[in-house]
Amino acid sequence: MIKKSLVTLAASAVILAVGAGVAGAYDGTKCKAPGVCWEPKPGYPEKVAGSKYDPKHNPAELAKQQTALDAQAARNAKRAANFKKTGKWVQDVSKIQ
Amino acid sequence: MMKHLGKGLLAGASCVALVVTMASSSFANDKLNELSKSNENWIMPGKNYSSQNYSPNTQINTENVKQLRAAWSFSTGLLHGHEGTPLVVNGVMYVHTSFPNNTFALDLNDPGHILWQHKPKQDPAARSVACCDLVNRGLAYWPGDGKVPALIIKTQLDGHLVALNAATGEEYWKVENGDIKVGQTLTQAPYVIKDLALVGSSGAELGVRGHTTAYNVKTGEQVWRVYATGPDADVGIGEDFNKANPHYGQKGLGTGTWEGDAWKIGGGTNWGWYAYDPETNLFHYGSGNPAPWNETMRPGDNKWTMTIWGRDADTGQAKFGYQKTPHDEWDYAGVNVMILSEQTDKAGKKRKLLTHPDRNGIVYTLDRENGDLISANKLDDTVNWVKQVDLKTGLPVRDPEFGTRMDHKGKEICPSAMGYHNQGHDSYDPTKELFFMGINHICMDWEPFMLPYRAGQFFVGATLWMYPGPKGDRQNYLGLGQIKAYNAITGEYKWDKMERFSVWGGTMATAGNLVFYGTLDGFLKARNSDTGELLWKYKLPSGVIGHPMTYEHKGTQYVAIMYGVGGWPGVGLVFDLQDPTAGLGAVGAFKNLANYTQMGGGLQVFSLDGKNPYDDLSVGEFDTKG
Repeated sequence: MIKKSLVTLAASAVILAVGAGVAGAYDGTKCKAPGVCWEPKPGYPEKVAGSKYDPKHNPAELAKQQTALDAQAARNAKRAANFKKTGKWVQDVSKIQ
Repeated sequence: MMKHLGKGLLAGASCVALVVTMASSSFANDKLNELSKSNENWIMPGKNYSSQNYSPNTQINTENVKQLRAAWSFSTGLLHGHEGTPLVVNGVMYVHTSFPNNTFALDLNDPGHILWQHKPKQDPAARSVACCDLVNRGLAYWPGDGKVPALIIKTQLDGHLVALNAATGEEYWKVENGDIKVGQTLTQAPYVIKDLALVGSSGAELGVRGHTTAYNVKTGEQVWRVYATGPDADVGIGEDFNKANPHYGQKGLGTGTWEGDAWKIGGGTNWGWYAYDPETNLFHYGSGNPAPWNETMRPGDNKWTMTIWGRDADTGQAKFGYQKTPHDEWDYAGVNVMILSEQTDKAGKKRKLLTHPDRNGIVYTLDRENGDLISANKLDDTVNWVKQVDLKTGLPVRDPEFGTRMDHKGKEICPSAMGYHNQGHDSYDPTKELFFMGINHICMDWEPFMLPYRAGQFFVGATLWMYPGPKGDRQNYLGLGQIKAYNAITGEYKWDKMERFSVWGGTMATAGNLVFYGTLDGFLKARNSDTGELLWKYKLPSGVIGHPMTYEHKGTQYVAIMYGVGGWPGVGLVFDLQDPTAGLGAVGAFKNLANYTQMGGGLQVFSLDGKNPYDDLSVGEFDTKG
């Protein structure tokens, strides 16, 4: 009885160990270089491009944030320059000479 | 020769200009410092540059706190969540609100009289790209220099940073710091250092690449901007970055730890609290979560999201950066409060420290001069994604069992995405060397899914189920919070208490041996800061997600708190959501909150025996002569 339990326990341990392996052994401590410690989980790709997890980012979409920030900065610069010149803050840049 | 001379003269003129600028800047700093030392003022959300939320005032103390009574109140007229705390400067209180981000100036001699109000007209579409209710965390104050008036500086959800004349409420300047069309919003309290107004960014749940920007308070001109991800020049990483701790990583990692151009939509926004040390000229804050939440879509350490920064205030350049949660898998956005202290470490060395209770369930203490990691302890022993933080390497030793990934539903992960600590502004009592921390006690199940990035649309990629942590009541979805007193040197908790809901807003400590905090179910509570004993509480009209403050006016100490349930924990209540996975998982966890409180924003002020300006019955009366 005890022996059977031990066998069952041992088998469970093996299953658990395999399960843990599948679950991924990434613990964040195996670094390739300082600050570079990520590793893919078992069964998952090192690179997602071309894999079933490829997010297929559209470069045009990815560029939109910076385009927006650059446009804001340009408008802000006009407002601030006008403010320094006239002492008046004009929000609508089309009204700035 | 003439040309050369001209250059020399120009250089001389620049030097003079620089000296004048520097003198003026240090004047602004000195004036803010001077103001912050007075018990009569609360000039920034954390009271002073150290962000200690601590008042040396002893008028209200453990002996008499039971006599605390309502003194006066103020309705903001808005229903959504009210985070942060008001400012008090020279007898005027400045109150901020949730969207549409109104600002009120109240005369503390007659707080029923609104001195001025600023009510911006914003594009209502801003509401649809707000992550988690329509909150705002507060205001900043710049003291003026004789030529430029004192300013109140505020953020708007639609991405604008606005400077108001503190005396009149008129707009002085207004700059665009984000565009809601691409998901960029603002919810943070701005921060003033010298003649700079610093502001972060919001929108990581829409893939917004985080940045921090400094504007000249006098002109509205942008002085510098640094990002959380991307090339070193963008991130503000120079030659001596992480010189004291090269193992944290140094160059090229803002792009090198991402696949392709994913860093351009990689998050790392910062919408939490800043702290500043005038002696080192470094300011400190945390960058938030990488985007999307689905970790499988973004291989790599995803630097420099989730990072505690020490940056030069004049240039934005980083002296150090310590990434707490490399390759985040749980939305443990690292934007939480940074509290500065001077303490003696275990080796007996006096050090300048910063302490940061992080979303990931670890409370970190660093040497704020060089980024050395001093301690990293669990906020609760139920934190399970990490076994420990290796103080030598700075690396969290993860437990793979609680990792997340595509095609897998992670279960019983503690803390939840809300973290064991979120945006609450906590406090530190330097006389006791204790940090008082409001804690979430919430765990979760997590299942990722794939989605495309479209600028201006939500970019999360995970479904969440949240519920009370192991010490809570999972049958009834109660026991979702704690309050704790922590010693960062010994790593010990002096006391801790459970709460029905998260202690979301943070704490305020006083030399009266008291710690105050608000609760989501609408109480302001005062505990003995030595023992945790509950000494006093008061039921407010609505739940609290902001932090208390205190000020003295005409010899009387007042305690003030904003109420108005909402924020991430209240998102189900304020938008009447039922699906437990809605609100990024908050709806399920807080499904019982509506049985304890309802919406309604305002400010409640207390004093001993309710003493207030209207004790003199003539105050505030209509006077035909006046």
